[in-house]
Amino acid sequence: MTLHFTLNGRATTWQVEPGMSLRDLLRSKGIVSVRNGCDGEGSCGLCSVILDGKTVNSCQVLAPQAEGVEAFTVEFFSRDRGLSVVQQALIESGCVQCGYCTPAVTLALHKLLDRKSEPGRADIEDALSGILCRCTGYEQFFDAAHLAAARLKDPEHVAHPAPEFRDDLRHVGKCREKVDAPALARGERAYVEDRVPEDALVLKLFASPHARACIKRIDTTKAESMSGVHAVLTYLNTPSRVYTTAGQGFPEPSPYDGRMFSRVMRFAGDRVAAVLAETEAEALAAIAAIDVEFEVLKPILTIEEASAPGASPVHAGQVSYVAGSAPEGRLTTGDPTVYGGEDDPVIYQFPIGGDPSHNLAASTAGGIGDIAKGFAEAEVTIEREYYARRVHCTPLEPHVVLTRMENSRLVIHASTQVPWHLRRIVATAIGAPENKVRVIKERVGGGFGAKQDLCLEDIAGWLTWTTGKTVFFRYTREEEFISARTRHPMKIAVKLGAKRDGKLTAIEFKVRADTGAYGQHALTVPMNACSKSLPLILCDNVHFDVRTYYTNLPASGAYQGYGAPQGSFALQTALAELAAELGMDQLDLLERNRVRSGSRIEILRSLGEGRAGAAVTLGECGLGDMIEGGRKSMAWGKHEAASDPEWRLGPEWKLGPEWKLGKGAVIIQQGSGLPGLDAANALVRLQTDGSFMLLSGGSDLGTGLDTLTVKIVAEVMKVDPKDVAVLSGDTDATPFDKGAYASSGTFFSGNAAKLAAEDLMKRILAVAAGLLEESAADLRVLPGGTIAGKLGKTTSYHEIAHRTSSGEGPGELCGIGSFKTEHAAFPYGAHFAQVAVNGRTGDVVLKRYHVFQDCGTPINPELAMGQIYGGVMKAVGHSLYEEMLFDAEGHCANPNFLDYKIPGIREIPGDFKVVFVPVEDPVGPYGGKSISEIALNGAAPAIAIAIHDACGAWVREWPFTPERVLRALGKL
Amino acid sequence: MPQDYIRPSSLEEAMAIKAAKPEAVFLAGGTCLLAGDSRKKPDSLIDVGRILPRGIEHGSRGLVIGAGATFQDLVDSRSVPPALRDAALSMINRNVRNRATVGGNLGAGKSCASLVPLFIVLGARVKVLGPKGPHGALAMEWMAIPRGLLLEVELELKPGTWLAFARHSRTSCDLSVLTCAVAYGLDAEKRLDGLKVALGGLGPHAREFPDLAGFFEGQALPGKAAIEERARTVFSPRTDFRGSAAFKSVRAAALLADALHSAEEIT
Repeated sequence: MTLHFTLNGRATTWQVEPGMSLRDLLRSKGIVSVRNGCDGEGSCGLCSVILDGKTVNSCQVLAPQAEGVEAFTVEFFSRDRGLSVVQQALIESGCVQCGYCTPAVTLALHKLLDRKSEPGRADIEDALSGILCRCTGYEQFFDAAHLAAARLKDPEHVAHPAPEFRDDLRHVGKCREKVDAPALARGERAYVEDRVPEDALVLKLFASPHARACIKRIDTTKAESMSGVHAVLTYLNTPSRVYTTAGQGFPEPSPYDGRMFSRVMRFAGDRVAAVLAETEAEALAAIAAIDVEFEVLKPILTIEEASAPGASPVHAGQVSYVAGSAPEGRLTTGDPTVYGGEDDPVIYQFPIGGDPSHNLAASTAGGIGDIAKGFAEAEVTIEREYYARRVHCTPLEPHVVLTRMENSRLVIHASTQVPWHLRRIVATAIGAPENKVRVIKERVGGGFGAKQDLCLEDIAGWLTWTTGKTVFFRYTREEEFISARTRHPMKIAVKLGAKRDGKLTAIEFKVRADTGAYGQHALTVPMNACSKSLPLILCDNVHFDVRTYYTNLPASGAYQGYGAPQGSFALQTALAELAAELGMDQLDLLERNRVRSGSRIEILRSLGEGRAGAAVTLGECGLGDMIEGGRKSMAWGKHEAASDPEWRLGPEWKLGPEWKLGKGAVIIQQGSGLPGLDAANALVRLQTDGSFMLLSGGSDLGTGLDTLTVKIVAEVMKVDPKDVAVLSGDTDATPFDKGAYASSGTFFSGNAAKLAAEDLMKRILAVAAGLLEESAADLRVLPGGTIAGKLGKTTSYHEIAHRTSSGEGPGELCGIGSFKTEHAAFPYGAHFAQVAVNGRTGDVVLKRYHVFQDCGTPINPELAMGQIYGGVMKAVGHSLYEEMLFDAEGHCANPNFLDYKIPGIREIPGDFKVVFVPVEDPVGPYGGKSISEIALNGAAPAIAIAIHDACGAWVREWPFTPERVLRALGKL
Repeated sequence: MPQDYIRPSSLEEAMAIKAAKPEAVFLAGGTCLLAGDSRKKPDSLIDVGRILPRGIEHGSRGLVIGAGATFQDLVDSRSVPPALRDAALSMINRNVRNRATVGGNLGAGKSCASLVPLFIVLGARVKVLGPKGPHGALAMEWMAIPRGLLLEVELELKPGTWLAFARHSRTSCDLSVLTCAVAYGLDAEKRLDGLKVALGGLGPHAREFPDLAGFFEGQALPGKAAIEERARTVFSPRTDFRGSAAFKSVRAAALLADALHSAEEIT
């Protein structure tokens, strides 16, 4: 049928299908700013359009319903590559991280400002109530709305989005425009899904309906013959080699325990088959026509079931080692009684304490001192167990890939954190050399660790490599929940011994983790629960014991924080429980035992990442200042009453005096990359006009890494950031980088860019010395790129570039930076929470959250704040709302945003504050350290401790749902 | 995917199309009917979104709300009592509020439909256009068998009536797990007079709890603990992924107590 409407001010006539959504229509016409995060639930708001003067979800509007109506998308505000006042305000306020939600937020704020010229907090909450954002934590949206409102009144209004640092530097530590933000705010083509050519075929997955089963028989004949179908993949026609999907440095400390398609289904959502067809409908119809018979087996769904004596193994194939051998007494022959005696092998690159025959994917143990002696010396001992449930990373852009052939090479347009690891793993999986594979990292609509793993690139790559077809593969939201990666559930038993004065004498830390069906990150994530929590506390006798088990649940993997949040929750809450037992103030106990400047951290000897660790003597540590800052800002020790008018901040207060207030605090830490294991590289090329091209291996996930490296190069070269362009994360065009994980971006990729710029500067000065006939040591580089000698003559980058690149010159100047280190740079933080708890209902409301954070020099201050707000709000979600739930057969009961609750703008605390306490690192670029992951480590224990302070109940299992709070109170 | 979309220009035309195509389904806001890309949808849709009445006005029989009024229309209206505005605002998502209609909320009849408990306790009546023309019915009766095209909802808002809506959800922007509405008068001795109680989330549809209301009828408003103690014995919810039966029972009882104690008088 014919649709006539006005789109972005233009009369438009299109032919449409009657049942097509307005979202799909607009996207099909190239309006890519209209995105899809929830598959039509109406719960994410990313497909927002203004229709008939109101913001609506275009997924729930049929295209013909727009007949005669005026519609606007963000493209209206992006005309002629311009930016509206709202788009500009969002950029300046640090709100454009991954950018996937930015067009929707832009529309909502424009409509709000149409309604109200001076919106209050409640108005902004209401305007953005239907839009999910996983990156920013929402707080800076308020700044952006206020800034836009101010600019509408006074176009010259100046924003101050964040404090600035390092007066001696021009760009580092200052608020500057995020380099990718304008394009993302305009809704330009930036993500994988925006690159799909018309001839691309669609790949869809046939996911296992059973948590544990064998394929007895599978017949794809009918599916293969159906209209539009180009290929059907199963275990019968795909490579049999096993590999890991974990994007880690090679050799990976993760078992090779999965093949592209297997005969054995290990979780509900595992790969039965995949169909490549011309349309999604044809692919789905073909999947429905696949005739498959399963032998359904009883699934193993808990750590207890997996570790029980005689438990049936999830992986029953032969076990082998590339280097080293199995620990003594461990079975390597597999279990012939399971899966008909035919299962895929498990290959370890080196021993990590695995024993798949007993469902043990990995294990390790270690410590310092004499744990028995430590407990013998204790005057008080407590033992507690803490349980972190399975949660999901939920990037708003699900896993997605586009693969195509070009010049007999496989090109992968990826939404990934690890372009080089992805290339290596896909090349291995399809049996091609790495130089036949190119990975182009597009803008990533949220990673959070989920995109450190391959979930679909191997299948798409294989199909393109073998058929030559262009393949597009995008998970639905349900597939993202079930078949992508989740956070490792962990049960952590903590035993603490202490003297009456609070001095710890012993810490025992037993971690039992659930890696799900496959063992990616099986050693390193649970290990990180120890290595990012235990080193915070100085204790002579520490023992840890880590065991990670296979179950028949969706695969665990990397999730921002990488095990540290689970470890932090257990240790920090246990310390607070010890303080309560001793009748001490919680912060006094932390002060009695915490690391401080100059501390020798012995426990790091036994906490290497799959290799020997080393003790570290800490340099300066800002924890003392952070704790003091929190004591003051939170009025620590003062017990406010819910009836105090100052605290009547929300609608819940009208319900009565059953609300009690409580406070909690924690100290946290993280690392800055993996010293001794990882490396980063960068090139800086002088362009012929004197501008610079930075080729960074780093993978910007929306975090601002590209902006950070540009600023660093601009700082070194003494030019404006606009004189530096960046290309990153392209395995053909940029040099190797380990990828975006382990909080390594600033420290590794930033240092690589700095080294490259410094190398280029040396080369420029050498040429300039020849031109000016002076020693390079006598030359000065002036801001803007003029090079002056002692004798009064000057030259410029432009002149040098022209001379070097001409026929008589020595060739293009290019600086190379390669960074690796053995230096460990720890960011520290102190987080403070205040909650209100309703003792009748179990409801918990987060009222205040104050963050005191060291990230060294905050190179992008406003973006660093956004990283912290976003990290905290993810952790708040995990603490209060989020949990993947499974039925007795192992099916996920809530694989969607309606039922799996991530926080919206109304969940953020009314008083949400970030204070930087910078402690510069001597090795970090301009003193910078990591920022992103640490922010997730504080909320769960801080909130748990605050809940106890409010109502006297310890809730040791998160999320702290009202039901769990009532149970802890003994009211259920 | 729907194969057939028709947008009639009048209610009469809509009814004629419906008569010719009985399998066709009326479409207004679409936030329920069109939700979920992979969910099966009717093959044939009659879009009445532009022809349904959507006014919100006080008439001779009370407040008359057009079935095509959106939730945002309710929020923006100065005619609706605070409890009804609260109920409309319980659909936190503004994008959805801008589309979702009063008629759709009743027609979908979901257990936690935002407006239904209030309509129950207020004894709402509806005006429905059927094959033989318009007729009236109690809202609850029509929701049990929703035939015909809903045109209006009539609410009798007697001054002196105390009214409240309350809900429990996991996050703000969540479908309600439990909803509750109460309406009552107070006699000269401040005793509950004509108490009505309705809750959603405890079964397939929101419903009235007359026995529970009857227990408290004639008493001075009891304390919350007393209300909860009695109410817990009445509810029999199901365990699902939103909560155990035991929790829901406790939480619903607390919701009722909160609603009774936070009710505001219609003046």
